[in-house]
Formats: sequence, C-alpha cells, structure tokens
Amino acid sequence: MREHIVKADKLKKIYSSTSQKIIALKKIDVEIKKGEFVTIMGPSGAGKTTFLNLIGCLDRPTSGKLDILGCDPTKFNEEKLSRIRVEKIGFVFEDFFLISFLNALENVQLPLIFARNYKNNNRPRDLLKRVGLDHRLTHFPNELSGGELQRVAVARALANNPEILLADEPTGNLDSRNAQELFNLFRDLNREKGLTIVVATHNVRLGYSADRVIHLNDGKMEKDERLVKQDGR
Amino acid sequence: MKFFILAYKNLKRRKSRSFLTIGGVAVAVAVLVALLGFNAGYQEALTSDVDKMGYQVIVTAKGCPYEAATMILSGEAGLRFMDEDIYNQITSDPDIDKITPLLAQLAYDPEKQGGKGGFINYLGIEKSYIELKPNVKFKSGGWFSAENANEAILGYEAAESEQKSVGDKISIPDKDITLIIVGIFERTATQEDGAVFLPLKTTQRVFDIEGKLTGIGIKLKQIEKISEFEERLYPIASIQVISMSQVKGTILNLVNSAKILIMSVAFIAIFVAIIGVINTILMSVFERTQEIGIMKAIGASRSDIFKLIWMETLIICTLGGIFGSVIAIFGGNLIELLVRKVMPYAPGGRLLLITPDLLVYSFLGVIIVGIISGLYPAFKAASMRPIEVIRSGE
Repeated sequence: MREHIVKADKLKKIYSSTSQKIIALKKIDVEIKKGEFVTIMGPSGAGKTTFLNLIGCLDRPTSGKLDILGCDPTKFNEEKLSRIRVEKIGFVFEDFFLISFLNALENVQLPLIFARNYKNNNRPRDLLKRVGLDHRLTHFPNELSGGELQRVAVARALANNPEILLADEPTGNLDSRNAQELFNLFRDLNREKGLTIVVATHNVRLGYSADRVIHLNDGKMEKDERLVKQDGR
Repeated sequence: MKFFILAYKNLKRRKSRSFLTIGGVAVAVAVLVALLGFNAGYQEALTSDVDKMGYQVIVTAKGCPYEAATMILSGEAGLRFMDEDIYNQITSDPDIDKITPLLAQLAYDPEKQGGKGGFINYLGIEKSYIELKPNVKFKSGGWFSAENANEAILGYEAAESEQKSVGDKISIPDKDITLIIVGIFERTATQEDGAVFLPLKTTQRVFDIEGKLTGIGIKLKQIEKISEFEERLYPIASIQVISMSQVKGTILNLVNSAKILIMSVAFIAIFVAIIGVINTILMSVFERTQEIGIMKAIGASRSDIFKLIWMETLIICTLGGIFGSVIAIFGGNLIELLVRKVMPYAPGGRLLLITPDLLVYSFLGVIIVGIISGLYPAFKAASMRPIEVIRSGE
C-alpha cells in the first residue's frame, strides 16, 4: 500500500514571460505521508505558493517528477486534473475566495455539484456544524466575519471528503485569536480523521504547532524539521 | 442545488442587466412571431374573403382593376358607374354559370354609432346575388316582395349595431323614403355584414341613378375559360374584366414583398439581440474572472464552467422567448389595429394568426440562437486557467 500522499523528485518550476524568467522552485525533493500535518514556512517569494499549487494540481511543474496520490499530474489533461482536485484535494486560500452570491451552505455545496455528488445532502450542513457555524448556514459572505469566512472555506474544502487539505496562508487575513482557532481546527481534523494537511504560513508560532515544518527559501528546501510534541497537541 | 440553480442565481444577482437582455430577446421574438403570424393570417383572411365573395370574375367600369377589386371585396361604394345594358348584353354569354348585377352606394348618417356619425353602405342586388354567395343565409325574414319594393335586408352587423329586427323601419339619410326591413342575413364574416341591401331597382330610384350599375359579379362554368370570356368582352370599351384569383395573387405578392422587407428588419432585431446576449454574458464572464478561477480551483472542470455559462445564456433566451411570445400574442392586436389603418385593403377576420406551430418554431429558433450565442462566452470562461485567475485577483 502506498504511504505517501505527495512525492516530489527534483521538482522545478520556472515562470517565464517575454521579458524575464523566474525560477520559483529549484529541484525540490520532498515526501509527505498520509496523516501528516505539515507547515511550509519561508519568506515571501520563497516558493511556498508555487509548491502548494503544484501539489494541488493547479499548476504543472517545469521538470522533475511528481506523484500525488499515486497519479502523475504532468500526464493528465485539464479535465482529469480538475477531477483530482474535486475528489481528492481541498483548498483553502488566504483571501477565503467564497462565492459572494451564494450563502454559507451553498458555498459548501458547490464542490458537491462539481463532483456530481447530489446524494450527500447532509454533509455540507454537518461540516458547517463541525466548524461551529451551524447558526450561520444561510448567511452570505458579506454577513460573516473573517474567522467565520475562513471556517466556511475549510468546510467547503472538506465537502468531498478529500485525502489532502492544502492551505495557502490561511491566517493572513485573520487576527491572532481566529488564526489560533483555525490551526486548532486543522489540528483536530488531522487527529480525528487522519486528514493530511499542508499549510503554507508566515506565522512562526503557528507554523511550529504542526508535526513537521518544511523551510523554503529562494525556491530551495532549507530545512525539514520533524517536531516531537510534548503537550500532546 | 444543481447547475441550473447556480446559473439562475448568478443571473438574479444582476437583475436589471439580465432583464434588459431578456427584454431585447423578447422584443426580437415578438417582432418575428407577430410578423410571421400576421403574414399567415393575412393570407388566410384574404383567401377566405375572396372565396366567400363567390365571384370568380367581376366586371366594372374601366379604371384601376385592383382598386375596383378591393372596393368590391370590402363592400365599399365609390366605384364608377357602368350602364345596365352591358349586364343585359353579357348575361347570355355561354361560359357564364351565374351572374348578378351590383350597385353600391354610400350615405353619411350623422346618427350612426350613437351620434358619432359614419357611412352606411347600401348595396342594390337582385335575387341572383344569393345564388352566387355560398354562405349568405337568412337569419330571419326573407327576400324582397317586389323588384321595386321599399324594403331592405340588413347584414348581420348592421342589424346588431342598429338594434333592428324584421318589421322595423329604417330611413336613408337625406332621402325622403322609409324602408321596411324584411330580412336579416346571418354572419358571413365579410365586410358585407355591415351593409344594407336594397332591391336593385329601388336603389337606382332612391339614389337617382336609373339604368346604372357599379359592378357585375360572375361565376364561370369553367374558370379556365376566363381569357376567352375576357376576349369576347374586349369590344365593350367602357368596361374591364377582373379575375379575383389574379387580384388575390397580386395582393399576396405585394404582401410577400413587404414581408421580405419586414423580415429583414426582424432579422436585424434578432441579430442585435444575439449581440446583446453575447455582450451581457461575456461581460459577466470577465467580471467574474476571479470567481471562475475559484470554482476551477475547488474542482470545477472546463466542461462544468462551460455548462454553467452556457446555461445562463439559455435561461436568458428561454425567458426572452416566453416573454416575446406573450408580447406577440397580446401586442399583436395592436399591430392588427395599426395595419388596418394603414393598409389600403385589409381583409375581414383576424389578421394575426399565431398558431401553436409558429410559437413552437420561434421558440426552438430562439433556443438555437441561445445555444450559438452562448458558445463563445462559455468557451472563453472555460479556457481561463485557475492559477492565473486567482493570482490576478490578489
């Protein structure tokens, strides 16, 4: 049985425009196992977002090998990539990116529509309850606070019961209390369901609440720390 | 929640824009349905008018044959007079099956329509008139007692509007005469429903035009013999022979060429509506660049986005089609009113004939238009790459 969720081998990503070439990732080797809670840390421009986009099948590497859940995304067409995204991967963004004309419940239902999963009617409701928003089901994004918006986004990311949850600076627009709560939620989801979580963050304190911290700088992996928890969290 | 609801919700959030676009489609559909309906209705009404008239051929004093034909069709007076002798002269022609003399006269009645005033058509006829008209029947009463009697038969509507029945008396404005109503015709759904019929001799006497006619209605034994018949009448310099099927053909030709002009206007309206739809959807696609990117990031595929945008177009076109058909059905009456005022000759009965077939075809047409005009915006949206879109939103 495969143990890894993500396995990258000499992963490289170059963004090229007519005027310049930016090397965002320079030969990264990394393996993320099932059930790991990993944070990716590093300064701006270190390649954190690029790395998440690659393992989230939102983008393709320039070279190197990538294995996500046993699939090689470089060999897939767009239609198949979106299939993987909707069924196996949950995404949480810094700017929440909720759909403004849909209420909280409908936002969480959206991935089910894209997955043609019309039967699982109660799951969106249960997920919102799980993130503590059962009293906000019919509220629209402009009626919710930042912390609530991000929790709706987490519920949406979990709608299709993904194997991996990717979050790109999810606390960037949250105050410290809400940021801490979000990380607690990640922690709990990881513990309860063995959900694999990869979070890119600037926040050192929160970053070190994970099991493993990968430090990126200038497109290279600087350090890969596995943390031993003493407080049981 | 499914795709349809998602598309609908998005249209709903830009209400005024969606409604204006739907309105554009509705107007185009309404114009098309009304025009096609009008064309079909006019053709049918004219054909039925000509058939009900019963004459295949009419003989009138020389003049514009089409003017004469439409005057007789619409039961109007104003035709030039011809001598009654001509009637006696041609009545024995071997090709004639049935023949009847006609004398139409007009009088202004200030009391008509409850004091508003209006013209009354008087038609001098002989018994042969009834033999030529396939659907003229008595509702009550019967034929005149004598060729020169001071009696009248009323058309169905003339009797209704004046509230007259058999035995009542009527007078002719400015003429010192009282007529007794001896009969009332059933409705024929032609212009003659509004006429007052008098014996031919009485008409000649009352209006002081002894020995004159305005027309002769003829049914031939074989309509194919019309050109030979026409040739035999050629020596009579003061008259003309008009074939009603020719007149019908000419009027329909005119209407058809008008239709082509009007249809091109309708197609321009549809073209403008399509551009409106494409513009609206494309604009909303560009405005929603980030949203489409998000949907893709959380798992929407190319075909999902394509479907979503396409469905919005279809909703707009379908609603436009429904509203347009409703507008055409109800607004068509207004067009009919207008047409009746403007057209030199409008047949009786409904001019606008909107059949279920016509509605179904127009509806299918607008759906096809919707499918086609949704293609480009939907393709454009589906081609957006999530990563670029999300980044551009930051």
